[in-house]
Amino acid sequence: MTTELGLPLSLHKQYRYQDVIGLLSAAGPGFSGPVSVITGPDGNLWVANRANPNQPEAVRITRCTKEGDFIEHFGEWGEEPGNFIWVTSIAFSAQGELFLADESTHRITVFDSDNNFIRCFGEHGNGPAEFDRPSGIAFAPDGNLYVVDALNHRVQVLTPNGEFKAQWGSLGDGDGRFNMPWDIAIDSASDVYVTDWRNDRVQKFDSSGKFLMAFGSSGNAEGQFNRPNGISVDSDGDVYVCDWMNDRVQVFDQLGIFKDMLIGHSGMSKWGRTFLDANPEIEGKLELAAQNIEIKERFYRPVSVHVDSECKVFVADCYRHRVQIYQKI
Amino acid sequence: MPGTDKPLLAHLLRRAGFGATFQELDRYGQIEYEATVDELLHPEQQPTIEEDVLERYYIDWKESRNIEGALTESVYRMNAYAGTRPLQEKIALFWHQVFATGLAKVLHEKTMLNQIDLFRQHGLSNFRDLLLHLAKDPAMIFWLDNNFNHKGTPNENWGRELLELFSMGVGMDGQENYSEEDVRNAARAFTGWTIDDDNVASIPFGKTPWLFRYVPEDHDEDEKTFMGHTGNFNGEDIIDIIVQQRATARFLSRHLYNFFVADEPQVAAWQHTPPGDPEAIKILEEEYFRSGYDIRSMLSVLFNSDFFKSDQARFAKVKSPAEVVVGTLHLLGDFKFPKRGIFEVALGCRYMGQDLLNPPSVEGWHTGEEWIDSGSLVERVNFVADQISNIQQPGVRSMVEKLLKGAGVLDPVGVIDGCLELLGHVRLHDKNKDHLTAQVRTMLEQRSGLVAGGHEDRRAAEKTILHAMKMIGSSREYQFA
Repeated sequence: MTTELGLPLSLHKQYRYQDVIGLLSAAGPGFSGPVSVITGPDGNLWVANRANPNQPEAVRITRCTKEGDFIEHFGEWGEEPGNFIWVTSIAFSAQGELFLADESTHRITVFDSDNNFIRCFGEHGNGPAEFDRPSGIAFAPDGNLYVVDALNHRVQVLTPNGEFKAQWGSLGDGDGRFNMPWDIAIDSASDVYVTDWRNDRVQKFDSSGKFLMAFGSSGNAEGQFNRPNGISVDSDGDVYVCDWMNDRVQVFDQLGIFKDMLIGHSGMSKWGRTFLDANPEIEGKLELAAQNIEIKERFYRPVSVHVDSECKVFVADCYRHRVQIYQKI
Repeated sequence: MPGTDKPLLAHLLRRAGFGATFQELDRYGQIEYEATVDELLHPEQQPTIEEDVLERYYIDWKESRNIEGALTESVYRMNAYAGTRPLQEKIALFWHQVFATGLAKVLHEKTMLNQIDLFRQHGLSNFRDLLLHLAKDPAMIFWLDNNFNHKGTPNENWGRELLELFSMGVGMDGQENYSEEDVRNAARAFTGWTIDDDNVASIPFGKTPWLFRYVPEDHDEDEKTFMGHTGNFNGEDIIDIIVQQRATARFLSRHLYNFFVADEPQVAAWQHTPPGDPEAIKILEEEYFRSGYDIRSMLSVLFNSDFFKSDQARFAKVKSPAEVVVGTLHLLGDFKFPKRGIFEVALGCRYMGQDLLNPPSVEGWHTGEEWIDSGSLVERVNFVADQISNIQQPGVRSMVEKLLKGAGVLDPVGVIDGCLELLGHVRLHDKNKDHLTAQVRTMLEQRSGLVAGGHEDRRAAEKTILHAMKMIGSSREYQFA
């Protein structure tokens, strides 16, 4: 299914594939295992790259325009304050500070708007304000930071300075319990959505952690999940969930009713085009490769989804080192 | 009592796996030896590792974009399965050695790892089926240029190595096993067996897996004569003829014996050098034909044989670097859940001389005593000594606690015997054992009347045990399986 312009549509035609940004690269224009994508205060895209343990220079934050023009990258691999190793997610505070979760050092690192290191907090443990592999992070309208504390199977609420305020959750599969939760999103009403990764569901809470509802079960049918991770809520209240091992993004309404599905329709990116123009022999081989065309377009382990104020949907297509963009119609 | 011969079980687990912890030996000790062999031969009946968790934390592995990442993943998986499916991993390592394919040329890590997966899935199955899977394996096709093997212009690389290194060998009993004409016609039969995509074809967004593709219009349909048979053969027919040969039975039997029982001369010498144990090879050859080329059946005979169980076979093989690294990690209980640091540990294989997924040539690695030189020996000893004396490792802690449990006054002989048993029933030469015992005695005398009771005493006792374990891990004998 495509539009009159020839652009593909989502399963139920509520979204139109628009563009792709990306190229496998350890530096400069390109990504290396993008795991978190957000819009910054500057209106540009900020993308966290997880990369390889044996390619530490590729672990970085990339900043680019939403049209795919590279601006800069920054970050340094390591354990020193201000460094990071296993980045899982990034989020901006209302003050424009960039917060980064690192599940190797078990801490949250904060940068100012010029990418300078300001502070970090958290250490390995299971006490208040301690973490065991922090993953998703999000800010609530009241300015508090919500952190998914994955191997402690809980959500912690902290001030932006890292002071403990509240927590909920423990290992289990009942209401309000988690099994290695991954990501978190907070809607305009301050309700909190958590992808309960190994329970293959999404749980919804109020801002104090009171359980409201859950949706999803294990499987690959509509509304089912195989290890959901990235999650986002748009201004209409629709919920977007990366259905990681099913290689798709599912969209639900506020009640958790399935609405639509994105599977990935990537064409060639601006950065990819530049690369191929400089390497025409590779383009020739690409054209000869006849069997893999469809899988090259599709998502391959989408990890993060972000919806901006214009209802553009950005999906970090992790193993394809790109961000696919859809427009809500 | 069934299966209580723990030194024999430890021997079995060193060969069919990467060694066993004392807890695993306790479990196997509850069942008959033959039942243990049967369990090892059916890894598919044991649980798999948690792939989702693995992928969550080692987020780059699904694609394995470089050679070190691929090596790391291989070591992690061997270690993760060492307690549940050891023979699945050991047979994969065996076939990786025999069907040696390397990233130096293939340059596509995921495709290489897919080949290792092929060995995991089919390594214990029928040899004919395994060869057929191998002939369609994209890494092998690229490694031996079968993608350049065209109708009218055959490339003989795959056809030659299939016969020489993968199934029959150049010769046996002083005779040649096949002719140059057989090589040429084998190659012709595999024309049109190629791959789609190649190593650089999807670089803008990373690599995609290579796929086997048969191109009928590129296949040589003319008549061919191979090993005395004539017909319009395709690759499958060639494999059918190969597996019927006595030379194939001999070749496979010698390889299995060399890997699982005792070091044989290097493969290149097999045409003129008879097996070290001709009777054992004969038994395996007979099972090859009796079972219809079934590898699992051959290994069942092998592991249950007297020649395998014999005292002479124990500690008669030099451990490969993979066995040293994975065996040590398994003993320590380390990296059973994804965490950072496996990359640095896995590189130990490379430093000891076995760059997994990147053998030096299509002949694989030279094994046996050729694993050892002055540099690799130092790497081996340092690796084991560093790892095995770390009380933070769960396996080390449980061994220390086992030795201290209920202990009164520690005696030197008891410490050494206990450590040897817990480290896998290691057997030291008397002279070395006496030397280590004397060291432990000196340590204990410095803390005269040591009793593992109070905190200080316990710490001193732990230190003594850790020292003993480190010395055993540094011994010559520990380098043998």
